[in-house]
Amino acid sequence: MTSSAIALPLGLASSVPGGEASLERDAERAAIAACRRGEREAFDALVARYQRPIYRLCYRYVNNHEDANDLAQDAFLKAWRAISSFRGESAFSTWLYRIAVNACLNHRALKRPVTQELPETLIDPRPGAHAEAERDDEARRVRAAVSQLPDRQRATLILKIYHDLTHEEVAEILGSSVGTVKANLFHAVANLRRQMGAAGDARP
Amino acid sequence: MTHLSDESLIELATGEGRASDLEHEATCEACALRVRESRETLALLRRTDVPEPSPLYWEALRSGVRERIADDKRRVSAWTLLVPLAAAAALSFVLWGGGAKPPAGAGPSLAAWSPLPVAEEDEGLRVLEGLALTADGDADWDEPEGLAAYVADLTDEDSQALAETLRGRGQGGES
Repeated sequence: MTSSAIALPLGLASSVPGGEASLERDAERAAIAACRRGEREAFDALVARYQRPIYRLCYRYVNNHEDANDLAQDAFLKAWRAISSFRGESAFSTWLYRIAVNACLNHRALKRPVTQELPETLIDPRPGAHAEAERDDEARRVRAAVSQLPDRQRATLILKIYHDLTHEEVAEILGSSVGTVKANLFHAVANLRRQMGAAGDARP
Repeated sequence: MTHLSDESLIELATGEGRASDLEHEATCEACALRVRESRETLALLRRTDVPEPSPLYWEALRSGVRERIADDKRRVSAWTLLVPLAAAAALSFVLWGGGAKPPAGAGPSLAAWSPLPVAEEDEGLRVLEGLALTADGDADWDEPEGLAAYVADLTDEDSQALAETLRGRGQGGES
């Protein structure tokens, strides 16, 4: 199968009524097989499919666009390097999330001043789209509080709450037990509540 | 009364609680309060989105990934060329410089084998050059007898010149 034939179903599957999931799974399997043969265009299709959740996962972890962009690219590069070792024992998305989470966990502040500014050429052209999000003070406070959580608590919370994964899936991604995932989630929520409460008390 | 464990509490807060824990929550005010607080925090988290990048950003991300994969491939190609070269250089170093050290007290130090200024009239140097030229051809320096055999084949005159040269270099402190 050629890579151009792979790229189309991934993009079109969601618009086909009925059987989308199966179509997407087949297309994904075909794309993975093509990647293992070294076809970079097939990997491009996989990146297009997963770029959004992976970027968002990274963003929630580091709370700034530049590092999130670096981490997302790192994760995809590592996935490309390792794709021949992907045996399909877990879902591709789980495997990819694990790579991205590991990239985040290994990320030790690149000593870059935290900023949420986007490069000028990439700023959303829609009137007020970016500014609207940035005006949301509550959202900013929550994101900042999440980014201050200890590594494992942060990763657990992001995967469970923002990616709607089960405790078992989170455990598989993080390589820990379900009990540990629940404990980390409990402590993450408790810590956030404390932090948000303290921040709220400090505000005029 | 035994209150809910942390694990049960988070299960209830995420909507995955067991029936027995739900019953407890309904009857225990303290646990119900903790579950409610956790639910509020989770609801606040879910309301919080990340800033949406420009639609143009996604193409920039894909392009960045493509570039990094291409760079990675180039880097790997360079390594596949450099590693054998580095191995060959290391082997040459061992064979020519670092390998055959003379035993202690058995004559001049290894410094005598260091590159020396060319002196056309120095017979010893001529012999040394002969050694090097021979080695460049087919001498097997992995085997110490290769060098020993060459030295044994030297004429008396050459052997004496070599000995004088080595002695002179060792005493003169040239290195």
